[in-house]
Amino acid sequence: MLSKIMTGSLSGLEAGLVDVETDFYNGLPALNMVGLVSVTVKEAAERIRGAIINSGYSFPYKRITINFSPASTRKDGSHFDLPIAVGILTSSGELKKQITEKYAFIGELSLDGKINRIKGALPLVIGFVENGIKKIILPAANLNEAAIVKGVDLFPAEHFSQVIEHMKTEEGITKHHGRRHNLPANDYKEDYADIYGQEHIKRVMVICAAGAHGVLIVGSPGVGKSMMAKRIRTIMPEMTYEEMLETTKIYSVAGKLSDKKPLIHERPFRAPYHTISPSALVGGGVRPVPGEITLAHSGVLFLDEFFEFKRQTLDLLRQPIEEGHILISRNGENVVFPSRSVLVAASNPCPCGYRGDPRNECKCSERQMQSYTSKLSGPLLDRIDLQVTMGFVGYEDLINEHRHKPDYRCASSEDMKRDVERAVKTQKKRYIKEEILYNSQLSPARIKKYCAIDRESENFIKQAYEKMALSARGYHKMLKVARTIADVDGEDHINIAHLAEALSYRG
Amino acid sequence: MNNTIQSVKFGDQDYPERLKHIKDPPKELFYRGDISLASELSIAIVGTRKATGYGIWAATNIAEKLAAHGVIVTSGMAFGIDTCGHRGALKGGGKTIAVLGSGIDICTPASNKNLMNTIARDGLVISEYPPGTPAAKYTFPRRNRIISGISAATVVVEAGLSSGALITAELAAEQGKDVYAVPGNIDSIYSIGTNKLIKEGALPLVTCDDLLDDLGIKRNPAVYLPEGLGKTEKEMLQHIGMQSEVTVDYLYRMTGKPPSEINGIITILEIKGMVYTHMGKIFIAK
Repeated sequence: MLSKIMTGSLSGLEAGLVDVETDFYNGLPALNMVGLVSVTVKEAAERIRGAIINSGYSFPYKRITINFSPASTRKDGSHFDLPIAVGILTSSGELKKQITEKYAFIGELSLDGKINRIKGALPLVIGFVENGIKKIILPAANLNEAAIVKGVDLFPAEHFSQVIEHMKTEEGITKHHGRRHNLPANDYKEDYADIYGQEHIKRVMVICAAGAHGVLIVGSPGVGKSMMAKRIRTIMPEMTYEEMLETTKIYSVAGKLSDKKPLIHERPFRAPYHTISPSALVGGGVRPVPGEITLAHSGVLFLDEFFEFKRQTLDLLRQPIEEGHILISRNGENVVFPSRSVLVAASNPCPCGYRGDPRNECKCSERQMQSYTSKLSGPLLDRIDLQVTMGFVGYEDLINEHRHKPDYRCASSEDMKRDVERAVKTQKKRYIKEEILYNSQLSPARIKKYCAIDRESENFIKQAYEKMALSARGYHKMLKVARTIADVDGEDHINIAHLAEALSYRG
Repeated sequence: MNNTIQSVKFGDQDYPERLKHIKDPPKELFYRGDISLASELSIAIVGTRKATGYGIWAATNIAEKLAAHGVIVTSGMAFGIDTCGHRGALKGGGKTIAVLGSGIDICTPASNKNLMNTIARDGLVISEYPPGTPAAKYTFPRRNRIISGISAATVVVEAGLSSGALITAELAAEQGKDVYAVPGNIDSIYSIGTNKLIKEGALPLVTCDDLLDDLGIKRNPAVYLPEGLGKTEKEMLQHIGMQSEVTVDYLYRMTGKPPSEINGIITILEIKGMVYTHMGKIFIAK
């Protein structure tokens, strides 16, 4: 008897519907799978045989053909185990077609019939909902992750026998409604108040977070570059539901969710080491998986020892940072992963780290020095709007608080976040009709439109242009940063003070 | 015209006057530019290749002031102090002489190519090595005797203990020329060499004007005119001047003004040429 069971298949972060068609014929017993399935899916045959037998049922002694429709798309993943097993039992008459065809199934089977956690449950469930399927059988381990999808009935199963039971009576597995969760509040352990004596760098971090500007922090070892970078999450706005859904989807596909962390509700902070391979950074593989730049989506991509990265690796970052997504083409399949993150780069001033430090001698040769900084030249620099040097805080400055004016305040993450949120809100309102969200995304044409300056400021820029040998690129960067500074300060128009401050971060 | 390489032999009329009197004058000099400059009043500015912000400031300023008073600045076109000396002189609207340790058709270091062409156009590039000679370890100490030889005096701005600038200073002293050393903090490894020179009898360069006075040059008041400054700008300048080098955070602590405002004021002061930033520190420029 022919049966047709619903499941899905992933391509990047998107899921499409797949029908698993099972039919029995007379002939030598065999199990054939057709429809462009990968090795993982073909191997399912042995797992399913074990799972069915160990759940107390007999495996049909027939020539079984299973077709995955549509037959033209590639199918990969271990989540096909459950729909195939259900299809076989439906075809053999063990289960009722009228019931099994109402549900969609995803899950990986063990030989003993246990249903295991799968990768990509969230995007698959979202795909089902988009196709109007409301009843889904899924591994219990994936429940928390899938439950953030609204308007769906989830049936979490731990063992294959539970599924069989449920398919016979439509009772047995408790139904869960997917609903919008109240997100747990962010609980970052770090705070900018931990850093003393670097208020001007904190200001830069506010501008960076507010306008999603790329920043490069240069400083000798031990001055606190990483501390500064790690805390930027604490001042970014809370994630929206949509952001959370999209980010969790990415982590679901990458197989990085666990029972402890079923949801990504804190902005990701990714800090790949500088020896990372290009495909690990931007994504790739025979079956494309998200790279670090996608895992950092809606969060922070921190590149420590920026100049130690290979030039080719850094160049790969340009397009995804600019466009907010990365296109990966493999075997005629195009996959798009989102990649909108804040880029924070840190570097020593030279290979040994002590250039410009009067206490330690720099041991680098000029040649080393030049090959070090030459990586920064070129188009990647376009994406780094802010460049600052972080100096050493002397012991005296660290302890002698009484020497300070009363106005001196060590800003905390809470203070800084307030400024960032205001600026983000202003930008959202301003760019409501554009496809952009942040000032850093402004194209030269839009800069003209949104970064208007008055006559007085124009004169100032003219002076600066000559005195500081600004380039056209530097000019545009300055205007974008000045726009963000005005937004942070809550002002509608860019004035000289904003421009002058922007110029001080030109590096 | 100035791009053609010419040469002058010992005994020729154009041969630099002061160079005739040193112990082992070069038999032939290859040059681009105006060879007569080498016979005029010039001062050598030399120092470490790894200059700190302080050294960059000092070299640029001394050179600029000398140039503004018509004195030629001679140096070796190396990174750091040498480059700042040349650039400072050009900034001050004066002439400068670069003495190379290689043939003058080879730019050492290569990245100073633009600087070399500017110097060849507006000043003088010379070398005792025939065109095509690559730079070698021994050529740099040799050319130092020419730097000190064509100059009336030598100023060492910053030097570590093994700096080539100390060789130039020694040669200058042997040639009977005045050696000036710019004193530095005693905890800075780039000032140990210069401070030691002072201990050994070099003249400390306490203000940039000392040199002008010693050369008997009348000061040009136009060089010292301050530009119009606002109240906050003056306040910032005072704080920077008291410490000679400060950070933005220091200014925040001392003035109570937020870093955003301080950064803006510093940029404006920089445009006005009053301060100078290097590696995250702010220095007085004048």
